This record gives sequence, structure tokens and C-alpha cells, in this order.
Amino acid sequence: MPLPNKKGYFGAFGGKFMPETLFPCLHELDSFYDKARKDNAFKKEFQFYLKNYAGRPTILYFAKNLSKHLGMKIYLKREDLLHTGAHKINNSLGQALLAHSMGKKRIIAETGAGQHGVSAATVARLFNLKCDVYMGEEDIARQRMNVFRMKILGANVIAVKSGSKTLKDACNEAMRDWVTNVRNTYYLIGSTFGPHPYPMIVRDFQSVIGKEARAQILREKNRLPHFLLACVGGGSNSMGLFAPFFKDRKVKFIGVEAGGMNKNLNSASISYGAVGVLHGAKTYVLQDRFGQVKATHSIAAGLDYPGVGPEHSFYKNSKRSEYVAVKDKEALEGFKMLSELEGIIPALESAHAIYYLKKLAKRARNALVVVCLSGRGDKDLEIVQQCTDDHR
Amino acid sequence: MITIKEKFQQLKKEDKKAFVAYVPYGFPSVRHTKDILLTLQGSGVDIVELGIPFSDPVSDGPVIQEATSIALKNGANTKNLFVTLNKIKKDIKVPLALMTYYNPVFRFGIDNFFKSMNKAGVSGILTVDLPIDEASEYIKKAKKHKIETIFFVTPVTPLDRAKKIIKASGGFVYYISVTGTTGVREISYEALASHIGQLKKNTTLPVCVGFGVHTKEQFASICKFSDGAIVGSAIVKFIKENHKKRNFLDELKKYVKSLKPN
Repeated sequence: MPLPNKKGYFGAFGGKFMPETLFPCLHELDSFYDKARKDNAFKKEFQFYLKNYAGRPTILYFAKNLSKHLGMKIYLKREDLLHTGAHKINNSLGQALLAHSMGKKRIIAETGAGQHGVSAATVARLFNLKCDVYMGEEDIARQRMNVFRMKILGANVIAVKSGSKTLKDACNEAMRDWVTNVRNTYYLIGSTFGPHPYPMIVRDFQSVIGKEARAQILREKNRLPHFLLACVGGGSNSMGLFAPFFKDRKVKFIGVEAGGMNKNLNSASISYGAVGVLHGAKTYVLQDRFGQVKATHSIAAGLDYPGVGPEHSFYKNSKRSEYVAVKDKEALEGFKMLSELEGIIPALESAHAIYYLKKLAKRARNALVVVCLSGRGDKDLEIVQQCTDDHR
Repeated sequence: MITIKEKFQQLKKEDKKAFVAYVPYGFPSVRHTKDILLTLQGSGVDIVELGIPFSDPVSDGPVIQEATSIALKNGANTKNLFVTLNKIKKDIKVPLALMTYYNPVFRFGIDNFFKSMNKAGVSGILTVDLPIDEASEYIKKAKKHKIETIFFVTPVTPLDRAKKIIKASGGFVYYISVTGTTGVREISYEALASHIGQLKKNTTLPVCVGFGVHTKEQFASICKFSDGAIVGSAIVKFIKENHKKRNFLDELKKYVKSLKPN
């Protein structure tokens, strides 16, 4: 993984577009992380917690019924089986160790679906840190169980009432907090976005997904897969899966974005956006022709974000990965399909990737595919119930 | 219209400090901007910072967040900004600077944006989320179109970095009084005075202080060790609360005058 360069660029994307006040702390983080990534004791400690606390390695499960149904060989990387129910814990553990080693006593986090908020609240207990989580009011309403979980874990959940009241606005508010309390606060960013070095740090901590999957599929099939498939919001589970396969040029990547309702109301930044600067990085952004960031929508709160990690923008422009959009309705179909065929209830985010298998099957019969099942669906049951009721 | 540099030369001769006022463009509506700018000019304001509303203002506190979001709802955009400025440029005598986030400029096209600024008679630009490290292209193009690039120094900026920022700056150096977002607050002068003293040893550029400034007393205290101060949120709040009054512009004039020591 040679990228990003020293200035934090993945090709033309990334960088540090941040208010001046945050500069010293980004610099500090950069140098701490540079030391940590080479430090065997740090790596060992991270591995220890991944194994003994989060429950790694996760299994690579051959989805027999789904494979038969679609005419492909489908393997699910079961991140949903991790402690707290999603891949987010990988990154939170790594960054909490960093924050701890930097002597920070307080962490803040933004959250959409609440999965990152829950994982941040969890590691805050584990390492005895104070934790404030910013969450949009709309997301608080649609992800009540996760809000309750965070509260049980002792985190302070701060409702964000500005803008669209979703993940983007939670990020804005977290950044305002950070710029104010920069001397004692660590911002634990939950996805591969934000200013350098965050996209790199989050990718590195999440790349355990792809490293394990690569070894597992080689062990099981003695070959690499034809395709890797994962949902993309900010892009951390997908980048975690893709990055370790970067040099395996024959392995094709497909990032599945949230197509929302239609071409005008969605969260598919790469599919329907244009290059811009949001939350510290140059990347694809859903915006109008005057550079104002658009309101977004997805049935999956965790994908409901108008930007995307800069490394994905680089993958897009260099054609290393393909990006597609799957609509709300289709994601629900994916949700149902996996639940009924495999007895596995996926998070609505991951259900976007599951649905796309159906389309992929039409052009890639018998292909060997690894899909990242980034989270479990418990948090989404109310939403799915509502949608099902509406259709009656 | 004169440049910011020329304005400071003029102020220096008169042994005066700069009173810089911030208002968002298009707040409460696009048609208010002309009247508000002329009123500020007539109230003893030396330089006006005109804010470009942005959907995601991470550096702004609640007052400016609300105002800029109203401006956006009422149709403010970079296209009608330049239309408005071109219409009123003959009446504006004070130097103008645009205060913006980077994305609207980037989307407009940096070169094109500076060209439009130059044509509209705007002297300077402050881009909140564009640190010097990302600004080489921007600085080059600003020079080409004779735009003064104002950058920020903060209480946590190390001196060696501050020196680089000064080198990239034109017009003046904007010193952010506190770590935090824009908005009215108390300011502790001791640390501020020593930071700015150190900064001034390293530059001939004027240094102005912003974020939190909202009274005549603060203004006077800050100007003891700086070359001027910027008042933003306080004026924006006043506009928000009074713009529906019939004698709004007179009231605004009175208010703005009350912020400046004689």
C-alpha cells in the first residue's frame, strides 16, 4: 500500500483542507501514527484486542444457498459477527490505542447508523476515555436502539439539528467541537474520509478485513476471487477489503453506493457527484453547480453521506474499481434475499452489496465472489418493518 | 476602490487601526447586500469581509451558520454574487475581501473566480479551509489577478509555521483569537498580546484579530497590540434581529458606530 504520498494524496484526491487551527494536531497525529505503524509493541497490542476483544479473525463463509440461487460462488466475509456487530470496531480499537498513546483523555466521534458511535463508545469504556458522539437528529430517530446502546456504554450522544440532520451534519458538528477543544480531544473518525492522515489510518486499521479474506480464500480455493464486492458510504469496509488486493490486478473491485430513491435523491457520490472538497479532502461530492453540498438520502443511515473517501475517488479515476448504485428498494430485496436463503440478517448498508450480486450474476456466471458483510441487521429491523408495512 | 494594502498605508499615516466588519452575502436576502455594504461604509468601517454562504460551514458558530443558511435558502450563489458586486462597485469605496470555504471557489474554477473578483473590484480573499500547504496553485493565480490572499494564524500555530503563513499572505494576517468557531465570547488579552507581539516581529504586514470581538472595549484593547480587529457575529446578529424594522439601516449605522472607539 504505497499510497497516499507525503501530502496525503491518492493521485489527485485527498489532502488536508482544514481550518488552520487543526493543523498542529493533524501534524501530531501524523507523526504519532508514523511511529505507531512501525512499532511492534503497538501492532502487537492492536492484534491482541482484535483477537481477544473484537473476535477476529472473522470467518469467510461460503453462502451455499445464495450461490446456488444466483449461479455464482459467493463467500461472505462475516464482519457482522464482530463484537458490536459491524466492522467499525476494527478502526475504533486502533484509533483508541492511538489516542491513548497520545495522552488524550477525551474522544469525539460522528455517527450515521450509530455503528461507529457504538464502537467508539465501546472502546471509550475499554480504555477509560470520555466519549461524546455527534449524531443527526434524523438518524437518532431512525436508529434508536443504537442510541440507547451508546447511552448504556456511558457515551454522551449529542443531537445535531443543523442542515439535513444526518451524518454530514454530525461531521460538521464534530469538527466544530474538535476545532474548539483541539488541545485535549481526539477526533475518532469512523470512515476513510476526512483530512490526511485519517483516510490512511482508517484504511490501515480496516485492512485486516482484506488481509484475512485473501489468506482465507487462498486456503479454501487455492486461488484469488474474480470479484470483491462491498458497500460504499464513506468507504471503510470496502477499502478495508479492497486495499490488500490492490496489486492483484486480476481481482476486480465493485463498490456499491446507495442509489437512494432516484438519480436526484441518493448518496451515491461517485456515481452521481463531481470532484469537490468536503470535510478536509478533495474527493467526489454530491453538490450543485455552485459548490453547495446537496441533501442526500439512503434507507441505510450509514451510507447517507454526500462525500466518499479520497482513495475511492482515486480507484474510480484510475479504473482500479468499478462503482455502481443500488436503490433503497433493491437493498430491501437484498436484505430479504440473504435472510431467507442463508438465515443471515444483514445491515441495510451491507444489503446494498448483497443485492448487487443479483445483477453481477447476469454478467459473471459461476464467478468466485467475496462480499463484505459489514454489519448485522438488528439495528434496522424497525425500518424494514415499516417499509414492509407500507407495502401492504 | 483601493486595495487592502493601500487602506492600511492610509490608516498608518493617520495613526488609526482598522475596523473590519464581516457580513454574509445574501443575508437576509440578495437585495439587502447593497444597502448593508453602503451602510457599513458610511459607519466608519475600513474594510468589509463579505462572506460566501456555504452549506457546511465547519468554522462557524450558530449565528453565522443560521445567517448563511438563510442566505442560501434565499438564493445566494457565486454567480449572483458577482452580478451584485459589479452593479455596486462604483459606489463602494472601502476595500472588500471575500471570506469563503474552498468548495464554492474550486467549483467556480479558481482562475475564473479571481478574474471575476478582479473585475468586480474585490481586493482580497480569505478561504477558511484552505491552509497554505494546499494553496500553491491558488496563490499563483491570485497573484496573476492581483488578489490579496489573507491567511490565518491561530493560538496553536507554531512560529515556524506562522512565518510560512506570513510569506503566503497579502493584505493582512488574520489572527484567530481563540481555538473554536466564530461567535461572541470573552477574550483573554495577555496571551493574545504576546502571540501577536511575536508575530509582528516577523512581518511588516498588518495583523488583525477576529473571532469573538463584539464590543467597543474589546476592540480598543485588541488594537493596543494589533493593527485592527474584525467584528462578525455581533453585526450579523444585529442584522438578523433588526432587518425588518423600517429604520433598519439607520439603526445598523448607529450600532456599527457604537462598536468602534473614537
